[in-house]
Amino acid sequence: MNRFLTMVAGAAMALVVAGPASAAADANYYKGKTITYIVATGPGGGYDTYGRLIARFMQKQLPGSRILVRNVPGAGHIIGANTIYAARPDGLTIGMFNTGLIYNQLMSLPGVKFDLTKMSWIGKASNEIRVVVVSTKSGYKTIDDMLKAKGPVRFAAAGVGSAAYLDTRILDFMLPIDIQTVSGFDGAEGELSMMRGEVVAQVGIASSFEQFVRNKNGFYALAMSPAAHAILPNVPQADAYVHDEKSRKLLTLLEALSDLGRLTSGPPGIPADVLAVLREAHLKAVQDPALLVEAKKLAIPIDFGTADFVTRRIKEALNQTPETIALLKQAAAAQ
Amino acid sequence: MDAAVAFSALVGLVTTPYIVFLMLVGVLVGIFMGIAPGVGGKLGLVLLIPFVYGMDPLAGAVFLLSMHAVVHTAGAVTSILLGVPGEGATAATVLDGYAMTKRGEAGRALGASFGASLAGSTSGAIVLGASLGLLEPIILNFHPSEFFLLSLLGITFIATLSGKSVVKGLSVGFFGLMVSFIGQDPSTGIARFTGGHLFLLDGVDIITAILAMFAIPEMISLGVERQALASGVAQRQRIDYRQVIQGLGDVVTHRWLVLRVSLLVAAIGIIPGLGGDAASWMAYGHTVQSSKNPETFGTGRVEGVIGAETGTCAKEGGSLIPTLFFGVPGSSGMAIMLGAFLMLGLQPGPQMLTEHLDVVWALIWSLALANLLCVGILLVAAPWITNIAYIKTSLMVPIVLVFAILGSYIGQGHWENLILIFFMGGFGYFLKRHDWPRAPFVIGVILGKIAEDALLKALAIDGYWFFMKPISLILIAMIIGSIGFWFYKMRTGKVEIAHG
Repeated sequence: MNRFLTMVAGAAMALVVAGPASAAADANYYKGKTITYIVATGPGGGYDTYGRLIARFMQKQLPGSRILVRNVPGAGHIIGANTIYAARPDGLTIGMFNTGLIYNQLMSLPGVKFDLTKMSWIGKASNEIRVVVVSTKSGYKTIDDMLKAKGPVRFAAAGVGSAAYLDTRILDFMLPIDIQTVSGFDGAEGELSMMRGEVVAQVGIASSFEQFVRNKNGFYALAMSPAAHAILPNVPQADAYVHDEKSRKLLTLLEALSDLGRLTSGPPGIPADVLAVLREAHLKAVQDPALLVEAKKLAIPIDFGTADFVTRRIKEALNQTPETIALLKQAAAAQ
Repeated sequence: MDAAVAFSALVGLVTTPYIVFLMLVGVLVGIFMGIAPGVGGKLGLVLLIPFVYGMDPLAGAVFLLSMHAVVHTAGAVTSILLGVPGEGATAATVLDGYAMTKRGEAGRALGASFGASLAGSTSGAIVLGASLGLLEPIILNFHPSEFFLLSLLGITFIATLSGKSVVKGLSVGFFGLMVSFIGQDPSTGIARFTGGHLFLLDGVDIITAILAMFAIPEMISLGVERQALASGVAQRQRIDYRQVIQGLGDVVTHRWLVLRVSLLVAAIGIIPGLGGDAASWMAYGHTVQSSKNPETFGTGRVEGVIGAETGTCAKEGGSLIPTLFFGVPGSSGMAIMLGAFLMLGLQPGPQMLTEHLDVVWALIWSLALANLLCVGILLVAAPWITNIAYIKTSLMVPIVLVFAILGSYIGQGHWENLILIFFMGGFGYFLKRHDWPRAPFVIGVILGKIAEDALLKALAIDGYWFFMKPISLILIAMIIGSIGFWFYKMRTGKVEIAHG
């Protein structure tokens, strides 16, 4: 009986709030429901930190819901992305994976069972500005010094085929530096390798090197996105060093990827009204002052964007000519 | 002056009731995380981080570190009583600990394990504190070439751990090495032996391999024999403190072993990149190798438990160091800890050593104190916990199987691991049934991957002559010494060679 009354009262309130014209789902859709937020890595690390933070604050925006974080690691985020893509499109499974999977889809690499252009994009929480970080021990003071280097210059990178590895190979293709990519450095291992003097530099996401640079172990030598102007004003832009037409095509792709960081998405076909609720919750969550305070303490930057922006940028990034894709494959294979 | 800072940090810790309380809570949570299958310290940290938000930096860090520090200590309980290791690092404890349980000496094994954990973590902390000034050159002088040789040294323990038959041991060990090559080729990115399965791209899950080798075969044979685990053993006293105290006494008897292993492992632990699993197996390997009767290990030798547990706990402090001083985490667990430190307002970096030495010492002490608390709690509870070993088989087998299966699933969340554990468990039972050693398999699986990765990096960085460096040459001498020593023992008849 009580439950019936609550339901009637709830329905009446919903009518008053939403007005008679709206029959669409609202935040009440999630009352009493559990959302699974998939993070495509194991616990710990950047994706897990962002995922858990966003899940917690989205839950705050969806009263009565519970958002559980589930780690689905493996195969460089592919298993997690496949899992999200294959989930039932009822708005109860969403998640986060590395946007570098755009490379995998462009090059039709094995294991990909998703089409990023079809996913239900919910929003973005940050950017992933690609930078070159050079070890202070290396003797190089600027990127120009490195361009003058005779012989190969050693870069650390994550496993072959990972986004960080491909970024490094693209840099090698674009700049007249003979980059020797030493792969297999996961997480912070690359930074240690720079400190031990085994490699001189690494390509990566600007925010993840903040500690390293602050402790004067290295410096930002080159940024590969115009968006870097705002946060790294004194760092030279790749734009000024990349001249030939082929390389510029790859740079445009890198720039697009730099815009798309820490995205939340769901499987294709989530009903428009439910998706709208999720998008609104995400947008409010990433602007929540309490989230911003926590993010600042965790030293993870927040640079939010709407779902429309993300959807458009993803389509642009994946809309490459066969020639560019061939270039990408050439860059990835050259070593 | 250093000693004064160290001492005042200790006094500061134990005289602040709030911190002692937090430590106690951290320890209790850590005990739970260690005993529950497949949870482990990493996930524990992730789950606890939201709670430390807003805490005072030192209190929050001590709380998280206390939790993380005791997970291995508590993990020994399931390794010894059920033969189910909670994670890779505690698997070496299973070999002799579980054998002791079967012989009716569960209490003694637990006592020895807890005593060794305490001794290991304390001496690990002391080694760490004493060498604070030397740490930077040590850490920065270990390159992939040295990692490769260290893991090779570990692989030579395959022979030592082969038990009676070297041929059997080597076969199983090399099979383990082959299994470690399943997954993505680190140099080309090509999927090797994965049969197109994505879940194998990162290699065979180590926890699944270990559970399949140790937990599953034991349960099958228990089920087949239909006896209680410690059956055939004279009726026990309900609460038997004597055994537990005897176990503690064993640690004192083998104090030199404890000291050697602590030094060895604390050194390995400081070097980021080798990992805790490797450290505890190398500790066990050393224990067996330095024994007069290496062939008797695995049958319930208390030294085996002591060596493995000392090793597991002594390395804990080591991985804290690069995290604190460089802001570069030494392990994935420490990567989470680094995030927490930042959130709490502790700024890791070289200035920790100059400006916040008191905090560094407080953290080092809290590693040892948390283990002291944990061991205290577990020792009081040990006689009751021991009763688990006397549960009826019909009840025990399903419970342990559920534990094992959960453990293999929760770690990565891949259902395919459930199929893998079934087949590998069958293989493990085959080995057990026909009296083939199983430890070399685990060594192969754990160290094969590390060795390959380090070799490829060493070749890329230093070329073919990567081993022509002082530390590398010392390590090569140790490898040759290790093999030579084993041959010597074999020739003098201390080890039997294959019966065919």
